[in-house]
Amino acid sequence: MKIKEGYILREVAESYVVVPIGEATLDFNGMMTLNGTGAFLFERMIKGTTKEKLMQDLITIYKIDKETAKTDVVDFIKKVKEADLFE
Amino acid sequence: MIKEKPIVEQYKIADIDVTMKTYYQRTYNQAKKYHVKNPSWKPEDTDVRLSFGHEYYEMKKNTTLKGSTFEDIEYICTGSLFNRFLLKYNGCMLHSSAVVVDGHAYLFSANSGTGKSTHTNLWIKHFGEKAFILNDDKPALRKVNGCWYAYGTPWSGKTDLNSNKKVKLGAIVFLERSDNNWIEPISVKEAIPRFFRQTVRKLDFEETMDAVLENMEKVITEVPIYKMGCNISDDAVVTAYEKIRRV
Repeated sequence: MKIKEGYILREVAESYVVVPIGEATLDFNGMMTLNGTGAFLFERMIKGTTKEKLMQDLITIYKIDKETAKTDVVDFIKKVKEADLFE
Repeated sequence: MIKEKPIVEQYKIADIDVTMKTYYQRTYNQAKKYHVKNPSWKPEDTDVRLSFGHEYYEMKKNTTLKGSTFEDIEYICTGSLFNRFLLKYNGCMLHSSAVVVDGHAYLFSANSGTGKSTHTNLWIKHFGEKAFILNDDKPALRKVNGCWYAYGTPWSGKTDLNSNKKVKLGAIVFLERSDNNWIEPISVKEAIPRFFRQTVRKLDFEETMDAVLENMEKVITEVPIYKMGCNISDDAVVTAYEKIRRV
């Protein structure tokens, strides 16, 4: 599970944003805003990861339970899929 | 009409030394206010050079700017390049109509066709001689000596309304149409996607995008930002002014 080429994650005034550069601007004409968890997950998706790995990372870093981690990851994958940002 | 030879002149735009080459009247005429006849600087020393070969315009006419005249293509290309250079000067462009009253520029920003110019035009009607349009389409914003300013530039859209002036930036208002008039401040977080949508954003390089986001972050955290719903009436002007006036 990996994000398409040309999307970068940045922090702007304590918010996180995803914007396209280069050819990606032809497909995606705007900006996606994320919260801290979203940014955490997106960063890993840029490098390439799996649903299970994401859940595990959330549990390790944020010390949350498995159910919450699963919900967060599933919801976020859905959001990214809807924006058509996956390879 | 195609000029045989392009003209190369020196300009001062948003306090920046610019060398610009023009083939066509539109941009040349609009830039006259900014022309510097005997510049104190050497043309080769300007960092900002807006100089396209005519082949570039021809390429644009065959691709992304089909249906535009060469005059308009030159206007778009020179303006677009200037706005990218602006990023290196602690500045950015905001797609908005900027009206000045009491020494402050108030920027009304929205997608094309929403009614930015219509609204600022009502300010002129309301304030008469006390108000003027700084730039009706894409004012340049720059942070100079710790303070944000708005500038007129030659690139001011269809109405060609612009003044070669530097004015303290009073407020930015994101506009939408509404049956009744209302205005409220918005948070920095709310401002981010709105501002981004109205500035330079189709970029090829990460460094340029970083410059956009950096300058944007400064403006929205240091200048009052509002959103407003308005109709076409004098009341719309009063509603906005009473809320955002800095004097």
